[in-house]
Amino acid sequence: MNTLAIETKDLKKTYDGKIYAVDGIDLQVEKNTVLALLGPNGAGKTTTISMLVTLITPSSGQAKILGYDLTKDSKNIRKKIGVTFQEMAIDDQLTGQQVLEIHGKLYGMKGSELKSAVDEIFDLIELQEVRNKKVKSYSGGMKRRLELGRALLTKPEILFLDEPTLGVDVQTRAKIWDYIIKLKKEYGMTIILTTHYMDEAQSLADKVEIIDHGKIITQGTVEELIESLGSDIIKLEISGDSASLVKKLKALDFVDQVTSHDGWIQVGVDNSDTRVVPLIQSVIQQGYSISNLNIKKPSLGEVFFKYTGRELRE
Amino acid sequence: MLANGIYTLWKKHMIKMQSAEVSGFVIQPILWLVLFGVGMASLVTTSGTGEYIGFMAPGIIALSALGGATAGGAVWQTERLRGMVREYLVAPIPKLSILGGNVASTVTKGLIQGIIIFVVSLLMGATLSNNPINLIGGLAAALLFTIGFSGIALAFASLTDSPGGFHTMILLLNLPLLFASNALYPIKILPTWLQIVAYANPTTYAISGIRDLVYKTSTFPGSDIALWIDFVVLFAFAILGLLFSQYAFKKSLP
Repeated sequence: MNTLAIETKDLKKTYDGKIYAVDGIDLQVEKNTVLALLGPNGAGKTTTISMLVTLITPSSGQAKILGYDLTKDSKNIRKKIGVTFQEMAIDDQLTGQQVLEIHGKLYGMKGSELKSAVDEIFDLIELQEVRNKKVKSYSGGMKRRLELGRALLTKPEILFLDEPTLGVDVQTRAKIWDYIIKLKKEYGMTIILTTHYMDEAQSLADKVEIIDHGKIITQGTVEELIESLGSDIIKLEISGDSASLVKKLKALDFVDQVTSHDGWIQVGVDNSDTRVVPLIQSVIQQGYSISNLNIKKPSLGEVFFKYTGRELRE
Repeated sequence: MLANGIYTLWKKHMIKMQSAEVSGFVIQPILWLVLFGVGMASLVTTSGTGEYIGFMAPGIIALSALGGATAGGAVWQTERLRGMVREYLVAPIPKLSILGGNVASTVTKGLIQGIIIFVVSLLMGATLSNNPINLIGGLAAALLFTIGFSGIALAFASLTDSPGGFHTMILLLNLPLLFASNALYPIKILPTWLQIVAYANPTTYAISGIRDLVYKTSTFPGSDIALWIDFVVLFAFAILGLLFSQYAFKKSLP
């Protein structure tokens, strides 16, 4: 049995034949896992999702969703996926109840099947009390939850969430995280989410694909990616050309990896408590001065910095 | 799935239809009937206001169908610009049903407005034809015209991303369609150049059909266009409107 929910090969989307929004993406997503596409704005995350949910057609490459070919079998794919969009696409002139009912009917649901599914969703997203109120009276967080509920109504096998917590308050964010964890555990759902929040990817994802400029620059489980950096991270700001310093630091036996960008050097070490002094000494011995220093437990943020040379900010 | 998609979207738009949407667009045609109709009637006939109202009502029904089509086009444009259309695009319904649902709801709005004007015209003393089959024929003419115009309104709403631009385009059509037709005066009294324009205007055929079938006037001449010609032109207009909307709709998708 095929255990892959999604498989893509060299998936590309170009505009006007020259601008690569997505530049050859290979994905393999196991069923019942959560995959996070992590990257800054404009990295190609939304374009990738838009192709996978059949909203836009790829320029080249192949993709299979639940065994169906993305371009030939889009109708079968649509029946089995649920989607929430980055910019909310909910009609605020309708009531919450109407939003869900209309959505269900578009998927051919009706009668008692539709009624019980709608009831179940309002329980899950905890909006029972406002289900008959117009959506325009909902707060931003309530709208997000309704949109998530709408995507879940048809019990999709794969759920695509494009920036599910963008612009919501802390409580809503925590709730949405809880739902995602529950959906995976209790419903066995496969979930693909895009985010530019590292903590979100770190808390939810079994696997992370870091995307920048339309390409996957690295991928793995959160643990794998973080382990690749060493157990602790020391970041130093130095002046002058750092190339020769990086070489010297790499030769030190307690250093796991070194990257440098824009005057900052990121050094992965086995233990920052015992290594920070020898490290500083080595830098000064090479004739460099340190203007800034910080020590961190590694997170996806450092992974992102290592591969792109940029901080991933909100 | 095509029928289900069309029906679901039609129903959604009917739920969303607010009283303001209908009344806002129907006020102008009612004012035409009440203010212009009454004033003009006293100038052109001595046999009572109802006579001229009966003559003029088909044109105003056409005008109000245009208002309904505009309302439908505006809804489609809003759904498109605010990204709601993506919900439909990832649903397992044919893309054509998205357009179909919009055409159905837009036509419904146009017909509702036309019927309101029809009722107002009766209240103002217009005389109806005695034959109920004629009324059905009149409704068919109004339906075909409304389909054609809904197609144009939906096409404009697909092609322009500015709500202001959309309304301006529709407004630009509004008055010329009324004046350059047989809506307010018999075509024969017009100068030749305006007659040519009027004959090229599909509104003329809708008015001609409705006038001949629905209303009875003794002092005003009936239309000089044969009924079958009215229906052939209106049918072609409906098809062309739909094709135009389909072309523009496809262009507007991501």
